[in-house]
Amino acid sequence: MTIGTNSAKDCTRAWEIMPWVLQATAPPEQGEWLMHHLAQCEACSTEFAQQSRLRSALALPADVAVDVNAGFRRLLERIDAPAPEALPVRLRRGNLWGRALAIAVLVQAIGIGVLGARLWSDEAPQYRTLSQPAVSGPAGAIRVAPAPSMTLAVWDRLLHDFDLRVVDGPNAVGAYTVVPKGSPAASAQLLQELRASRSILLAEPADDAP
Amino acid sequence: MIEARDEVDSRDRLLVQRMAAGDRAALETLYRAYHGGLTRFLSRLTRRADLIDEIVNDCFWIAWRKAAGFQGGSRVSTWLIGIAYRCGLKALRQRGDEPVDDYAMREGRGPCHDPDEDRQLRDWLGKALEHLSADQRVVIELVYGVGNSLEEVAAIMQAPVGTVKARLFHARIKLRNVLPALAGELPAQGEKLS
Repeated sequence: MTIGTNSAKDCTRAWEIMPWVLQATAPPEQGEWLMHHLAQCEACSTEFAQQSRLRSALALPADVAVDVNAGFRRLLERIDAPAPEALPVRLRRGNLWGRALAIAVLVQAIGIGVLGARLWSDEAPQYRTLSQPAVSGPAGAIRVAPAPSMTLAVWDRLLHDFDLRVVDGPNAVGAYTVVPKGSPAASAQLLQELRASRSILLAEPADDAP
Repeated sequence: MIEARDEVDSRDRLLVQRMAAGDRAALETLYRAYHGGLTRFLSRLTRRADLIDEIVNDCFWIAWRKAAGFQGGSRVSTWLIGIAYRCGLKALRQRGDEPVDDYAMREGRGPCHDPDEDRQLRDWLGKALEHLSADQRVVIELVYGVGNSLEEVAAIMQAPVGTVKARLFHARIKLRNVLPALAGELPAQGEKLS
């Protein structure tokens, strides 16, 4: 597009403004300038003629047949179609099932949350496993179970004779935990003597594992 | 030209306002006013009449529901064509169709012996557009067919103005090289811009 006295710059400018002049949206002075340029530049004039023809071709009605009346009728039918909220119960049943399922899942989630919170609380357990260390009494403590017929006076005398002091009890089966007042270690002899007593049903070191 | 477009847009805005109030007569007026243009525009994306019909329906269904939200930031025509463009791309995606290549398969295309000038012109255009991508066809249609500015095309295609400008440039280069040959002429050597 560099023909005659026209510079390449002018042809580039002409190329850029052609669509807008064809649209009639370019400023009037641009249109006038282009017409003046086209009168002097054969290449740009040919190009402009091609673009004018292109625009004429593009302005032709669509060659794909689409029925406007039928289309608008379908649009109105679509607009008048019942909204999802107004659908019959039969059509919405699936939706109700979905909601029920969602509620069930929510209830389960809340239950799991409450259970988890309780497990994480600081409350001490009400049981002891066999793998846990036994809760033992003071050093040298002995667990003794007096006979039911044993009187308090006899019990007091026994404690005095063996120099023992009650530190705990009685427990659920009536056993007491006692410790020697002197030596903290429960000697085998002391146990033997307690077991030999008629009034004592059981005498065992308190720190023995069950 | 600009004044005429402004006048049309003022009319369209009133129609959209009435649509927002539930006026079906306004909807029908707008539908009939744009049906032909939208059909032609969408025919640059697909040649299937049933699909075009469906996309136009989708477009006005959305316009009817969103009329109250139309802010007037663009011309009504730009708003509608933008909706139609997005509906068109969505419809083609859902069907696995490619908008790019089906232009060459347009119905009834072939040697044209009809003496009618429009028919010849249409045939010439069809052959020319086969050389363009779908995006380029859309840009050419919007600029030369509809008369949109670069900014309006960018709004419709939701693309930067620079991208639209590049698409238009490359489309014009392609057409410049093929149109003379299609018209029975060969492009002169050295006249190609690329």
